[in-house]
Amino acid sequence: MQLPAYYEFCNTVKTIVGHKALEQIPQSLKVINAQRPMIITDKGVEQAGLIKIVQTAMQKSKLKAAAIYDTVPPDSDIKMVNELAKMYTSKKCDSIIAVGGGSVLDTAKGVNIIVSENASDLMQFAGYGNVTRKLKPLVAVPTTAGTGSEVTSVAVIANHEKNIKMIFGSVFLLPDIAIIDSRMTKTLPPTITAFTGMDALTHAIEAYFCLAKNPLSDTTALAAIQIIAQNLVNVVKKPSDTDGRLALALASNLAGMAFANSMVGMIHNIGHAVGGVCGVPHGVCMNILLPYGLEYNMHKASQYIGELLYPLAGDEVYNATKKKERPQKTVAYIRKLIQDLHDATDGKHPRFFKEVVDKTGKQMVPKEKLVDIAKTAMSDPAQFYNPEDLDYNDYMMVLEAAWEGTPLDKKKIKKG
Amino acid sequence: MNILYYPQVKPKKKLIKRIYIAIMLWIVGRAIQAASKVDSDVKDEFAKLNNNFCLKMWIWPNGPSMYVGKTNNGKVKYLGWKDKGYKPTLTMTIKNIEAAMLLFTFRESTAIATARNRLVVDGDLPDACAFVRILNIVEVYLLPKIIAKLAVKRYPKWSQMAPSRKHFGRITIYVRAFTF
Repeated sequence: MQLPAYYEFCNTVKTIVGHKALEQIPQSLKVINAQRPMIITDKGVEQAGLIKIVQTAMQKSKLKAAAIYDTVPPDSDIKMVNELAKMYTSKKCDSIIAVGGGSVLDTAKGVNIIVSENASDLMQFAGYGNVTRKLKPLVAVPTTAGTGSEVTSVAVIANHEKNIKMIFGSVFLLPDIAIIDSRMTKTLPPTITAFTGMDALTHAIEAYFCLAKNPLSDTTALAAIQIIAQNLVNVVKKPSDTDGRLALALASNLAGMAFANSMVGMIHNIGHAVGGVCGVPHGVCMNILLPYGLEYNMHKASQYIGELLYPLAGDEVYNATKKKERPQKTVAYIRKLIQDLHDATDGKHPRFFKEVVDKTGKQMVPKEKLVDIAKTAMSDPAQFYNPEDLDYNDYMMVLEAAWEGTPLDKKKIKKG
Repeated sequence: MNILYYPQVKPKKKLIKRIYIAIMLWIVGRAIQAASKVDSDVKDEFAKLNNNFCLKMWIWPNGPSMYVGKTNNGKVKYLGWKDKGYKPTLTMTIKNIEAAMLLFTFRESTAIATARNRLVVDGDLPDACAFVRILNIVEVYLLPKIIAKLAVKRYPKWSQMAPSRKHFGRITIYVRAFTF
């Protein structure tokens, strides 16, 4: 294990995991002196009946939400945050319960900044380290097993008027409590389960081989990889497997803990750009780019990539594989996992970019967009944490291979 | 010993280290200005930045500092180490003098320093990405290969930077940085 000369790790979130973990909400809120929570969620979560489960769990202890907002859009907006902050104040709420995916949790974090700082303008807190004191109690209930937002200290909120996305980063944005309950992910369709699981796997793998890796994040990353490898395909094939659902939700949490402290590299770097230019869901991008990120960094991080074979394939395969062959076998294993998910979803899980289509069947990533994607990727700071450097030609090489679905040509990878 | 008269220990100012960092910031600042005239890649990177671009690189809490900015006609200028009321659009804060020493003695690359959270970047992140690329090119020009390889992630091969371009650029940048 690598012991860096210096590293930082912070996770102050109390994590409650279980099949009936939501029943802990009243007691957990009582401990932090909160009695009038505001529930923030989105339409999809509400229509899936998940809010009813949360409310029922609360009512058993006679705790009632002081306000419920259930129409958070897919990309959080500053106007929405201000609107919710007003609602929070007028209903005299004293805490927030965010039930949903990344967008809901980010919105809740934005609302929490305004109501805790008694501020009128969220913009003044944009950037890293500008939220400098403890905020109101925030309980995060994730409904996907992928983003890990319940244990990250950042929030991304759009400003549609200025057409920008603002990043807020501070340890005070970490929720107080994360509740992981298998009922929250039980209704996820197999395709979403597949790519959100691959999103979590990418978080853990990038945390393990990128530049800010450290012994503490390694521990959570390896555990996450092992749980995902053992459960993802099974749960996609059998969505009612609640034990598997709970395991994947936990893995997402562990992977979130890892990447919140070790950051991510070129897979996220390019994935953000593909999402920004073509609107492809984040998890789909991660799923497609993961083997390419490993291949591109192979000469710089072969030891770490080889070590990933153990949690992915198990001890028998790991021990039976020669040390120098392990990195390549890791990539082969990931490609097989993607193929298995493709087969398990009747071909709905895309393996490369030319297979990604929208609801109408239209191709989402036309080949001529790769140039724009490469240019956009050059402005994403995730590249800082990638072991190997990337220039415009490198981005194009990776994108063209990921579009076609062909492995990277090793000879074309520039080595310093 | 009477604790009422116990001598107060004042923190040392690490004067030598501060002077070293101040000199390095001066050289880097001047070299960036020179490279913006000599190297086409640096020129292109600066051309994409707004004309109000102003970088402040400094060591928390008391400096030393370096200001580099673009003028109204798009020229890149080293603005000195004193704050003359500049409005930085990008601030790179190195958290302490020891972290700055690791960076400027090339025991840690810019990438590793970032990964170890020794730098705080405030401002437009695409500008920060562009500035790190500029810094990498300038380091390749300023430093001999054996040291530059420690400072940048990937030292450019001949196909990316021909020896003639590198050596001619190096001489021109040094001459410009130390003369006008």
